Amino acid sequence: MIVREDLRPLVESWIASQRWFAGKGRAGAVDVEHFVDLSPDVAVWLARIDYEDGAGELYQVPLTVRDERQDNLEHALLGKIEIDGAWRWLYDALYVKDVTGVWLSAMRERRNDGGVHFACYGDPAALPVGQSSLVLTAEQSNTSLMYGDIAIMKVFRRLQPGVNPDIEIGIALNESGARHVPRLLGSLIADHDGESYALAMVQEFMTTATDGWELAKNSVRDLMAEADLHADEAGGDFAGEAHRLGIAVAEVHADLAIAFGVSPAVELSARAAAMHDRLDHALSVVPQLEPMASGLRKAYDDFADAGSDVQLQRIHGDLHLGQALRTSSRWVVIDFEGEPMAELAARGRPDSPLRDIAGMLRSFEYAGNHRIIEIGFQPQLAYRAAEWTQRNRDAFLDGYAEAAGHDPREHAVPLRAFEADKAVYEALYEARNRPDWLAIPLASLSRLALDATEARSALDVTDAPSAGTEDNR
Amino acid sequence: MQSPPLTDPGVEKSRDPLWFKRAVFYEVLVRGFADSNGDGTGDLRGLTDKLDYLKWLGVDCLWLPPFYPSPLRDGGYDISDYTGVLPEFGTIDDFRRLLDATHERGMRVIIDFVMNHTSDAHPWFQESRKDPDGPYGDFYVWSDDNTRYPDARIIFVDTEPSNWTFDSVRKQYFWHRFFNHQPDLNFDSPGVQQATIDALRFWLDLGIDGFRLDAVPYLFVRDGTNGENLPETHDFLKRLRKEIDRDFPDRVMLCEANQWPADVVEYFGDPATGGDECHMAFHFPVMPRIFMAVRRSSRYPISDIMAQTPEIPKNCQWGIFLRNHDELTLEMVTHEERDYMWGEYATDPRMKANIGIRRRLAPLLDNDINQIELFTALLLSLPGSPVLYYGDEIGMGDNIWLGDRDGVRTPMQWTPDRNSGFSSCDPGRLYLPVNMDSIYGYQVTNVESQTRNTSSLLHWTRRMIEMRKQNPAFGMGTFTDIGGSNPCVLSFVREFGDDIVLCVNNLSRFPQPVELNLRQWEGAHPIELLGGAQFPAIGELPYLLTVAGHGFYWLRIPRRHQPTAEPAALAEALNTAHDQHTEASEVTE
Repeated sequence: MIVREDLRPLVESWIASQRWFAGKGRAGAVDVEHFVDLSPDVAVWLARIDYEDGAGELYQVPLTVRDERQDNLEHALLGKIEIDGAWRWLYDALYVKDVTGVWLSAMRERRNDGGVHFACYGDPAALPVGQSSLVLTAEQSNTSLMYGDIAIMKVFRRLQPGVNPDIEIGIALNESGARHVPRLLGSLIADHDGESYALAMVQEFMTTATDGWELAKNSVRDLMAEADLHADEAGGDFAGEAHRLGIAVAEVHADLAIAFGVSPAVELSARAAAMHDRLDHALSVVPQLEPMASGLRKAYDDFADAGSDVQLQRIHGDLHLGQALRTSSRWVVIDFEGEPMAELAARGRPDSPLRDIAGMLRSFEYAGNHRIIEIGFQPQLAYRAAEWTQRNRDAFLDGYAEAAGHDPREHAVPLRAFEADKAVYEALYEARNRPDWLAIPLASLSRLALDATEARSALDVTDAPSAGTEDNR
Repeated sequence: MQSPPLTDPGVEKSRDPLWFKRAVFYEVLVRGFADSNGDGTGDLRGLTDKLDYLKWLGVDCLWLPPFYPSPLRDGGYDISDYTGVLPEFGTIDDFRRLLDATHERGMRVIIDFVMNHTSDAHPWFQESRKDPDGPYGDFYVWSDDNTRYPDARIIFVDTEPSNWTFDSVRKQYFWHRFFNHQPDLNFDSPGVQQATIDALRFWLDLGIDGFRLDAVPYLFVRDGTNGENLPETHDFLKRLRKEIDRDFPDRVMLCEANQWPADVVEYFGDPATGGDECHMAFHFPVMPRIFMAVRRSSRYPISDIMAQTPEIPKNCQWGIFLRNHDELTLEMVTHEERDYMWGEYATDPRMKANIGIRRRLAPLLDNDINQIELFTALLLSLPGSPVLYYGDEIGMGDNIWLGDRDGVRTPMQWTPDRNSGFSSCDPGRLYLPVNMDSIYGYQVTNVESQTRNTSSLLHWTRRMIEMRKQNPAFGMGTFTDIGGSNPCVLSFVREFGDDIVLCVNNLSRFPQPVELNLRQWEGAHPIELLGGAQFPAIGELPYLLTVAGHGFYWLRIPRRHQPTAEPAALAEALNTAHDQHTEASEVTE
């Protein structure tokens, strides 16, 4: 038996260096608690962090012990621990290939005991039991394991009580046979203190895929390497892909609407108020936003006033090019975890599909301009970045309109508000983490603010505020 | 070097019924290759004289487009006698000599055979129009009006207003899917079926190794159908196959059906039998996909079509090509609702302009040697037997001023001498002028100079063909797209038994890194095929490669505990080689 008090200091020093640990640099106390045993070799423990500011977080830590120190597992070593009078070596179980098979085999058996629910969706044979696992290195907030090249298991590190939206949507879209999402193969959910926690999910792995962000950057690089071609003349044109991506996103939205229903647009003023709040907060960190603040506030107010006739439904919530995978035959959208900042309970709330579209439009803006961040501003490059961005935003929207039967551009006011809201978040993020990139959201926000101002003038000339009018909130 | 053939099996023509799956094909126009009698037109004797060159290059099988008697209104595809030779090209005896000489060198020959239609100059047609009740009266499809079969599309929309043309002699309309001087044969007539089989037998008896069957989807026509790919057509092809197999077991039928792969696969016949219709069929969409993939620097145009290509019966093979004599058929391939490429083509003026017209490979790629090599490497490594087009191995150019049919049919460029060494005639007498421009002209681009220069495209192509032959995976193996982290890089594995070859192709003009999941071969050291260099061991983590712009790798992945050749046999072979070397030295001394 692992003694809790022996384990606590090992986890405390180890967890601080893990990529998925959100509390880096925050003062807090760590405690551990035994959660469930998945097999004689794998015990899942919980690490509870109580921050000094009163907040708390819960993490899962699957562990396995070895009698001898393993040379090839140094990167997964928590430390040495005394168990039943003998010194053992303690490892993060997800990296230990001879024990990771239990997740899949238990899902295939649909094992269900002691409040631990392994589920399998569809054909149990689709779970590649017996394939060896490998932890992917790209993942930030969770730990993902690839089994062979057939399935990918996402192990949720930070646990939150309630229904996991990615699993919930996976089950629903499995049933409707949606083309543009990966198939959900299995999940692991466990009960604790009267709450239910999603611990892991398994999906089909898209073997031949690369993500849209890589593809789009490739197109931009190709264009920027040309002396004087326009975006529509360059060999690496992305508009065809953007168009098909638009179709795919529209079909995903349609699938979600069928699976979860739609509801009328409500609480617009509350949503607009939240946008104003986020802008307030951003202004306190990013003073460069000041000149465009009034225009942005107009965009939010227009949204609250004009309303939206786009119905609310389940959406992706955090859609960007990196969440879209180009496989050999089609685009696939992944990671339906909702807005990452929101609490789990809020993530399943119906929202406007225009929010997803705005997210993707922002992503095109980033892709188009990324070379300028890398190699510095040149007027010629900036012109072509704008041309690329416009061309691909248009192609994406055309594709979406084609499949959805309505053009998102007909909803210019809410679309602008969502785009601005997203760009404000980006500005905040960039100012804190990547100041070099701040120029991208700032340029977009300045344009969106101007658009909003002009749109208002066109709408109602007599009511148009004079230039330099203070915040008209 | 890995698994070299210890003896050369090519000297004597082996009776391998699956030879076509490993073969490298070479399309050669008799008219354009070599002129033996100085009349300005290439001929069968001229081609026979050049067989050693083709053997040296590594060609396994020649494909000869039609050399039959013909009014030549459609490049010889308008045949007026199925069992003769166009007099300009020589005689049946010349053909027999070509065949024997080819077989002596361990090579084979397939010829074009146009079943669907004849020339209107064919005696059958002349008889049929004169005497509706005579023995040839039903050899063609006749009708009193021109309204039947309205669902059959017109293929040559620029020149033909209708599939029916009125004949003033018989006072009836005749049916033609192509030009109005090419009446369609009526395959419902037992006489036509028998006459076709007799003609094929004539060539098989001479020793021909197979046929490329031109325009097969249109043999039969039925009311209420579009007249393509009908069951009756498949039944007749199966009958042909049976007749051929019974008496001539290792001859191949290569079908030209310019259709979507999912439809073409029907022409292979029943998978349960391993295929009981055509042995081979052209895979048309591969070629435009390669062009689009390189233009977009994206692997998806190729990955997509490979994913859409169905399994074929085990004794069958695709034929793939980059260029041929006559490929202006892309619209048919790409005008597919289900094909995303159509949208890409329609919106890209450069793709439409370049792919739609008849150009040779080198000018199409702006004579960029890296791209020419990349395209050739793809041709030699994607699933299917490659078909080279004469002259592309030296990077010959085209002559756009000759019009789109003749521009790619100019004389083969052998030497920097008069008429590029093709003919000793007065230059004005040549059937087409030789290329004389400053880049592709025969003074710079010719076989002689490239033979002397070991870093030439010709030598490179020869080495690549040799590599292909040393690795049966290319001809016989499975194809697995292994994706990878970089969308500019197309990576796939060809696998046949112990022979595993990883092909990594950078479709971008810039250097690219790529990470590949090769975990299933963990521990193996890949070996680069051309140079033999051993690459770092494959580990558990993604395998990192960097590839130069338009570069590629062919890496053999050895099985970790591969049994080596029997040491005694190898030692003996080495000694034999040593003896031969010594003898050769003595001769020269």
